[in-house]
Formats: sequence, structure tokens, C-alpha cells
Amino acid sequence: MPRPVAQMVTFTLNGQEVTAPENAILADAALEHGNVEIPVFCYEPKIGGPVGACRMCLVEIEGIPKLQAGCSVPVKDGMVVHTDTPRVREAQEAVLEFILVNHPLDCPVCDKGGECPLQDKSFGWGDGISRFVEPKRHFEKPLALSPLIAIDRERCILCYRCVRFSQEVSEDHQLVLQERGAHAFVATFDGHPYVAPFSGNIIELCPVGALTSQPYRFRARPWDIEQSGSICTLCPAQCNVSFTVRDDRVLRVLQRDHEGVDDGWLCDKGRFAYQAIHVDERITQPLLRDGGELRPVTWELALETAAAALGRGRGRTAALAGGAATNEEGWLLQGLLRDSLDSADIDSRAGGTLPLDLHQALGAPALQASVPDLEFAHAVLVLGTEPVDDAPVLDLRLRKGVRRHGLQLFTATSRPSALDERAVLAVRYAPGAEAAFVAALDAALTGADVAGPAAAAGADADAVRALADGLRAAGEDIVVLWGERVCSGAAGADAARGLLNVAARLGLEGRDGAGLLGVPDGANGRGLREVGVLPNAAPGLAAPDTDGRDAAGIAAALAAGELTGVYLLRTDPLVDLADTPLWERALEKATTVIAHASFLTPGIAEHATVVFPAESHAEKEGTVVHPDGRLQRLRPAIGRQGETRPEWQVLAELRRALGNDERLLTCSMVTARMLESIPFYAGLTLDTIGADGTRWTERPQGAAAPAGAAAPFDLPAPAPAASPNGRLRLGTFRSIWASPEVGASPALKFLHPRQRVELAPGDAERLGVRHGSPVTVACDGRSVTGIAHVRASAPEGSVFLETAIAADSAAELDGPLVEVRPA
Amino acid sequence: MTDILLFRDIDEPGLATIDVYERRGGYQALRTALKTDPAELIETLKGSGLRGRGGAGFPMGLKASFIPQGDMQKYVVVNADESEPGTFKDRELMQKNPHQLIEGVIIAAYAVGATKSFIYIRGEYEEQADILDAAVQEAYAKGYLGENVAGSGVELSLHVQRGAGAYICGEETGLLDSLEGRRGNPRLKPPFPANAGLFQGPTLINNVETLSALPHIVELGAETYSAIGVANSSGTKLISISGNVQRPGNYEIELGMSSRDIIYGLAGGPPEGREVKFWFPGGSSSPVLTADDLDVGYDFDSIAKAGSMLGSGAIIVVDDSQSVVDVCLKLAHFYAHESCGKCTPCREGTNWTEKMLGRVKDGTATPMDLDIMASVQQRIIGNCLCVLGDAMAMPVSSMIAKFRGEFEAHIEAARAAADRAAVGVAG
Repeated sequence: MPRPVAQMVTFTLNGQEVTAPENAILADAALEHGNVEIPVFCYEPKIGGPVGACRMCLVEIEGIPKLQAGCSVPVKDGMVVHTDTPRVREAQEAVLEFILVNHPLDCPVCDKGGECPLQDKSFGWGDGISRFVEPKRHFEKPLALSPLIAIDRERCILCYRCVRFSQEVSEDHQLVLQERGAHAFVATFDGHPYVAPFSGNIIELCPVGALTSQPYRFRARPWDIEQSGSICTLCPAQCNVSFTVRDDRVLRVLQRDHEGVDDGWLCDKGRFAYQAIHVDERITQPLLRDGGELRPVTWELALETAAAALGRGRGRTAALAGGAATNEEGWLLQGLLRDSLDSADIDSRAGGTLPLDLHQALGAPALQASVPDLEFAHAVLVLGTEPVDDAPVLDLRLRKGVRRHGLQLFTATSRPSALDERAVLAVRYAPGAEAAFVAALDAALTGADVAGPAAAAGADADAVRALADGLRAAGEDIVVLWGERVCSGAAGADAARGLLNVAARLGLEGRDGAGLLGVPDGANGRGLREVGVLPNAAPGLAAPDTDGRDAAGIAAALAAGELTGVYLLRTDPLVDLADTPLWERALEKATTVIAHASFLTPGIAEHATVVFPAESHAEKEGTVVHPDGRLQRLRPAIGRQGETRPEWQVLAELRRALGNDERLLTCSMVTARMLESIPFYAGLTLDTIGADGTRWTERPQGAAAPAGAAAPFDLPAPAPAASPNGRLRLGTFRSIWASPEVGASPALKFLHPRQRVELAPGDAERLGVRHGSPVTVACDGRSVTGIAHVRASAPEGSVFLETAIAADSAAELDGPLVEVRPA
Repeated sequence: MTDILLFRDIDEPGLATIDVYERRGGYQALRTALKTDPAELIETLKGSGLRGRGGAGFPMGLKASFIPQGDMQKYVVVNADESEPGTFKDRELMQKNPHQLIEGVIIAAYAVGATKSFIYIRGEYEEQADILDAAVQEAYAKGYLGENVAGSGVELSLHVQRGAGAYICGEETGLLDSLEGRRGNPRLKPPFPANAGLFQGPTLINNVETLSALPHIVELGAETYSAIGVANSSGTKLISISGNVQRPGNYEIELGMSSRDIIYGLAGGPPEGREVKFWFPGGSSSPVLTADDLDVGYDFDSIAKAGSMLGSGAIIVVDDSQSVVDVCLKLAHFYAHESCGKCTPCREGTNWTEKMLGRVKDGTATPMDLDIMASVQQRIIGNCLCVLGDAMAMPVSSMIAKFRGEFEAHIEAARAAADRAAVGVAG
């Protein structure tokens, strides 16, 4: 849907002429354009349209006899509004008096006290006395709405924000209102705990102290704390956040509303995983392996040891960067490797090498859709990604588009998506058959033979045709939200070409409001690619002098002894990468394993020779690139904990120790060098990136980006997906909760996943597997165990297992076919 | 006699069956209507001057004309959630003459181009719902409902949906939410149901009595129908009379009849030796009138001029043997119990008022509480999302204003009695 263009109109507000967009909600227009606050409680445009429930915003509009709710009146030209007449004051006082009838005045012990909209409104619009002398209503309090949220029903003013969030934003439909009148209260369906990926948002929505964060309760008063804005780098969604800091500790994470990124929502991982910053398990000092054990050492010794080991391994050392690494760190790492260690073996992707011209083409500015485009497009195709796991906040954006703007949503995934229920059409294909599926879609869009590639993809040819027709019929503004797994694996390059073909057939290039939006595996996957953390790309996606090995190649070379050392910047191959058995051999064989890590995950604990403490996202300085090309700036909210030093500084010191004389004294110096080295970032500075970030793809300098390969391409006939033949095709997924930070956060720990084996009811019955019972999944003599999760929507013939978990990860298994049996 | 329309043959045995209904001329008006152009039919409805019989009195034809033209799915919804204390006219209409309503629904649906219709009936009306279900089946069997209504090619489905017993679901938008399967809460207006009603489609929603009048309007023509009654209040009205009268029940009257003639003439007035103390002219939510107002004509404008409203046409008579405090408390309890809780003034105001009246009753109030109570009512009126809050505040306000002396005397007496009891216990 094209974004609505607002015409400006003039209306009169308390005698003053105010110009505002036509049909803007009066309460918004008055505040933004007239500097007059109309008090509201239930109104929250982020949740949806007005409901007019609290009646706090009553105002007088000339020509209308009754007072009107300012939250629900659209501004019209010539409208005359009064918000300060005795009649309006009386009505606002009345509503506040009514609200306070049943609200306990326990502000001195209430977490919200000091930052409470009800306090503010009472102070600003109330008349200061209460005439109510009857007993107030009582509820048992506080109750755990979930392990993360406490509910105090006596404080609730029944504004319905939380219930509406659950029903209309996250659409989990778990919160309901029970009873009626003054006895009404917020509850969960059937009394179940409110556990959902976005539940924590209701704490921030609550205008009183009825919903409080269990981890934050009684930890601070508003005058004890400071807010510090930064970016959450726990996933590629890169939500803008504000850290609540007291005494150099992060106590809370709040949203920092950015329409272009997160729309003001956070997932519970982003909101609560800050706890992992302040836990004893966190590594906060350098460690050195000594006699088989990792022991704390001084920085001098750790750096000296690491530099010496790297120097010895010149030409035989590889590097891997995890998704949470910043552009600065990635840029320093590739420089260290390429310039100081004479190595080209560096990677930040798990899925194998993609030809450079395809990286360039997929990231080309003319083809990049923005996050808001997801909401306003005519159609969005979700391809090979599960937003709620891979970039959670985008799930809410798509739901918003469907609900409010008539977005037509299509999903094409192997594992059923949470968005299927909101999709016009959901198409399934066999796990790993992305290239074949994209080829089938391309064929359907060009009118070529669909049956062949669709059969190879294990997809229904009619469904693929319907998808192509649906996309074409929906309109011109189409966004393909694709996951990095699409362009991974042996056929990754073919899939990338197919994807570029699809974009070309749909005319997405150069079209505002349309394009591709790739969700990388790592939080800063896009940034790391652009600064040259790829085996076949130097900074700026330029061709390097020599191409190096990709992650799988590095593992093989380490295991074969061709490489002797590996530098692990915030990644543990045994958790983050495929083929655990190979990586175990590789790390076992390596003589030098230098790691930046926060936690002793299996690969680090077993194999690292030097461990540098990694900064948490609240301590970090630098820049990252959002999947839609927005450079965003990280600012430290707290001091580095323990002896932790900035990671850029560690890399810079190693670089110096290995012979590079350039002095890099501050992170902003690194940023400046990094930005200078990349033509399409030209002219950007930390100031121009600013608090809201800057999409480099929208700047004229973005044209300097290499164009890459030009579609359309001739696609080879895709290899058919493995036929199950009694066994099941192995598909993998990474849960939103699969991160060491979740496991280390006391409040979130209960969500930290254990292996869950998703399969279709028919397969479960055939294999004698019951929902909730333990099962063994085996392949080539290796096996993992997990709990069976029978999903009605799972496709027959496939089984889906989690990766990125410490034990029983699907990375243990090779596939493509596995056996499943009761354990 | 033109003032008997809806209750014509009402006690005819078997009228609830389609055979008897047809034999009495039923479904003839529908055949006439189906031969008329829908736009012309709406003009007829407008010309009839029929005003909604559910409470608000909005001109029915005008409401129908608000339904937009076009191919979108449109609905007709019958508000049969008759829950206002004192109101029981729709119950008799549905129980004894369901086909008259069904015929009215079909005519209305044809006029506005709706192909789906619903009767949302109060949950407690189990017997009436069963009768309606049977009648709807008969109408389907006879081809008055379904894909080809009476051979005209017009399509209409009709479903009887039972409520779960909430007064608020009689509020039209609360009803629509409930019908959609949600919690029955009023919606913000605009948009009005005519534009975005059931499932966000254009929806004509009318009371049982309103739609039951349609066959008669079609039969008589706009001019004849509008000649019944008085200016601005045309047609006949069913009234439910209850309370302290000798012959309570439902009566059909020509609008404009003197209230005294209704209360004393039709209902026989209060029992021997009693006087009318006050009366609700239009259900429990209308401000009370006193014996001084008995000569007011019973029509929309005259009752409004007297300071009250005709509402659903339910007259509740209270004689001088009754305490105004008891009536007021009972009423406040009802509305506090039935408030949905969505908007603040109604939720908290009804609850607060009931608590204050409880103290008036048990002798722990002071005359100052009456001032607070009166002020609370003024703070409710006009400030709510729907009219439920006003429905309590208006009559309570009127009772305090008109019987303040009795309230004060009651407070004094109850406090003295409480004091005596306390002394007695202590002694």
C-alpha cells in the first residue's frame, strides 16, 4: 500500500491557530503541532486505533454538544477545539477522580512511582482531593503473570493496553479481560502464564504500576537511575534500546522507538537478557590455557601470548567472526589477518562461499527494501526465514501490515511459520531445497515449466503457481524477506541467482517501497560482509588480493593440519556452525585458538588457548549495519565489567604487536578509518550516523557500491531433494531463545531451549512417537535426543531440530535424512 | 382499528406457525416489497416516520438509508437482547408472532441489500429462541429464506444467536462484538454500524418491534402509517407496564395517547387507596416523572419535553407505599452489576453510586453524601463511551432532585435506628 500522504490543515486550539496533517488524531496533533497536552491513558497509537475507553481526553469541539474524546477525533480544517474550559477541566477532573476510586495510593512502594503517567496526570489534571470514602476493591497481589511479569490488579486502571497488545499487536491472544464493571480484571486465558516472545512490552505499555518486571521490581527508584541509548545486538533486528543504569549496572532495557527499525517494540530476549551482563559465569578477565585448564592471567601476558602464537602461525591462521561483532572489530580483524598474518581465510557466514558478484548484487542499494516497506508493501514474501526466531520484531511489523494496511502476506518456508495464520498463502518445500524452490518460483513467474523444479523442491507445483500469481496480482510494491539460509549450502549460489531472477521478474529494482530484505544469521551479518569479513571480499565488497577459505573450508583445513590456528571473534563453532564433529576435530587439532567470548561455551571451554573477555552489548562502542542498510551506532551504557577491555583495542594492539605501526587510540578513530576505506560509506561520520542511524543505501554515495552480477540468470536444473523413503528429511532452525545470554540470564533461563524435535502427526504415529516424549534422532552413527513436538502444520516427511544450542544440537547430524525413534 | 397492528391476532392459537401466519395474511407484505425497488422501499420507510423502538428513537428509514450502496457483504441484525428492567414487549412479539419479525427482517434486508441476517436474542429468552429457531426453519422450508427468497432471486440467510446474559450486549455495538465472538463491549462511534458494523461490514441493526412494524408499513403505505400517532411520533407503540398497577402487561397504543389514560385506563392505576408517587416513562433508565406529569402525551417529543424519554416504552409505576431509596438502590445495583467496565466513568461511577446508596440505606450516610452522589451523576452523564452510565445517572439524578427530602429523612431515620441498635448492643 502506498503510504498515505497527509494534507495539512489549520484548526484552532485554545484560541491559537495550529497547522497539522488532516485526519491526524487530535490528541497527537495538539501535542506535536500545538504544544498542548491532552491527557490520555488508553490511547496508544502503537497498539492500534483509538478505543475511547478511559475518557481522560475529553475536550470541547465547537458545534458538537457533547464533549469528545480527543484520542478519537480526526483533525479537520477549521475545527475549533478547547482543552482548557471549565467544562473540560471538570470532565478531566471527574475522570481522574473515577480512576482513583479503585486505585490504591501506594505510590511510595510502587515501582512505577516517579515515572508513572497516572501520577503525572493526577498532578496535572486532578483536583487533589478524593471524595471517595468507601472500601476499595481488593485482589490477591502481586501475582506472577509469568516468570517475567508481576501483575497487581488493584493498581490496574483497566485501560486495556496490555490486552490489546496481546490481541492486536503480538496476536498471541493470551491476555483477556475477565468479569465486568468494577470487578473486571486482566487475566490470561485459562490462567496459563503469559509466556510469549513479546510479553515484556506490556510492562512498558502499562500506564500505572499494575504490570511490573519481575527482574526489575524493587531494584531502583527513578531518581536512582539514568537512561542510556544504544542498539541491541542480540539479533539482526538491531532494535533501538535504552539501558536503565544504576551504579554502573544495567537494571532494565526499554524500547527507544524507531519507526525505521523496531516500531517501539522489543522481544523478551532483548528486554531481559541484559541480566547476562552481571552474572558470575561471565568471563571478565583474560584466560590462558595452562596445563589443560583455562586460568586467569594479566592482560599483558594474554596479549603477548596471543601475539606470539599468531606470529608463529603466520600464513596458517584463519579467523571467524560471530554476528555480534561490530563493523570496527570486523574491519580490524580482516586487516589483522590479511595484512599482518598473510592469510585470506576469514569468514562471518555459516553457509559457505557465495560468489562475490552475488553478494554485491543481493546488497545493491537499488534492490534494498526498508523495514517500514514491510508494513506498507502490497505484498511481502517471507522466504526461508522465521521472523519470530531470526529477527523477532519484524514479525510484529508484518502482522501490523496485514492488520492495518491490507498487506498481503505470503510465506514460503520448509518449517511452518508462525506467520502462516496471517498469510494469504503458505507454501512448503523440503528442508534445504531453497534453490530448487526459488527456481520453481522463477519458472512460475516467467511461465516456464514449474513441475520439474517444484518436484525437486518437494513443493506443490500448483501452490508455487498460486504464489507467483498472488504476488503479481497483489500490486507493484513487493518485498521479499529472505533468510540467509536460502543462499547457503552447496546450491546457495544458484538460490541467490534464482532470488535475483525473482526480484527482476517482479520489477523490484529501483522501486521505492519494494525490494529484497535479507535477514542474516548474525546480528551484524550485513556489516561484517561490507567491512570485508568474507573469504572472497575485502572492505567495501571489493575483490581481495587472494580468495580464502570459508568456514567449512577452515574447519577442514584445521582438521587436516593445513591451518594451525584460528581466531574466534565472538563465535563458538561448536554452537554456531554446522558439522560439529568436523569442528571438534578441527579445534582439537589446532594449536592456537584465540577467542573473544563472554561465556565458556563448549568450544571455548575445551579448545581455546587464549580467551579475551568480550564486551556485552551495553558496554560496546562502534557501529553495526542493520539488514536494511542502516548504519547504527552503539554507545556504551556502562563501564566494562571486571577487567574487560574493548575488543577493538585488543585487535588494535595485536595488530601493532604484529608489525602495523598505525596508532589507533580511540574507537572513533577506528570507525573513521573503517568508513574511509569503504567507498559507499564515503562521507559518513559518527555524527551523521547519529542517534537514529543512516541508511547508506539511500545516500547518493551508496551508488559507489559495486553492482555485482546482473539478473536474469539461466538456472541449472535443481538437484532433487532427498526422498525420505521411511526416514525423515532433516530441517534445522534456531530458536529466538537459543543464545548464551538467555541461558545465563536468571529470569530468562526457563526459556533456554533444549532440543525439540518437530514432526508431523502422521510421521509421529508411524514412528510410534508421542508428543512430549523423548526421541532419538540418528544419522550416520551419530545421534541426538530431544523432546518430540508434534505439530499439526508440520509437513510429512520432514523433521525439524534446533541448532545453536549447547547440547544435542542438530549441528551434530549431517543429514539430509535422519531416523527418528522413541528414546 | 388502526391502533392495533403488531398485536393484531396476537392471541390467535398457532400464530407462531407459518401456516396460521400465512392464513392471516402473513408474508403478503413481503411479496409486495419484493416487487418494489429497494430505493423506493427505503423512501417508504422514511416516509412512514417510524422511529426506532429500542430506546434511542432514531428514524428507522433514515438509518436504513445510511447503508452504503455497493457489492460488499451487508448485514441486518435484530437486537432481541431485551434486558432493560420493565421491558418485556419483544418477548411477547417473538413468542407469539415470530413470523411477523422474520418478515420484517426480510423486507429490511431486501431494502438495504443485505444477504446475511442475525437475530441476537437475550440468553434468558430460551423459550422464545426455540420458537424463533422453529419459525426460521419453517421460513427456510417455505422458501422465504435461503438462496431464492420467495422466488425473487434475492438471497438471505437468517441465524438466531443466543446471548449469554449481559445487559451491555443490548447496546448495539456491544451486541455486534458479542455476535462476532468477542467480549461484548461497546465500540467507539464513529464508525457507526451502518458503515462498519458486523465483521466491519455495513450493518442495519434494529429492535424487534421496529422490524416487526415493517410488514404493516408496507401493507398500509407510508402515508397511512404516518397518519397514525402524532407529529414526529408516528405509528403504534407497544408498551410494557409494570410496578404498582392493577393490570400490568403489554399494550399496543397509538403514540400520543395521554399517559394518564395508559396508566389508569389500560393498566387500572395503582391498587385501591394508593397514589402514583413517580413513574419511569421509558424503562428503568429514563428519568422519573411524578404524578404531576400524568397528563403528558405518550410520544417521543412530549415525554422529552417533560424531562424524560420514551425509551423502550416501558412504564414502571411506583406508588406511595414504596421508598424512593429502595427503588434507587435497586436500580443502581442493576447498572453497577451490568456495567461492562470498559469506560471509566460508568465502571467507577455506577460502583461508587451503589456503595453510597448502600450507606444511605443502612444509615451511615450524611446529607453531604447526597451532594456527592448528585455530583457523581453529573460527572457520569455525557462522559461515557456508551449510554449505560447515563442510564443509571439520569434516573438516580432525577430521584435525588425530586425526592431529596425523603432521602434526607431516610438518612436521619436509619441513622437513629442504627444508633439505637448500637446503644442496645452496648447496654
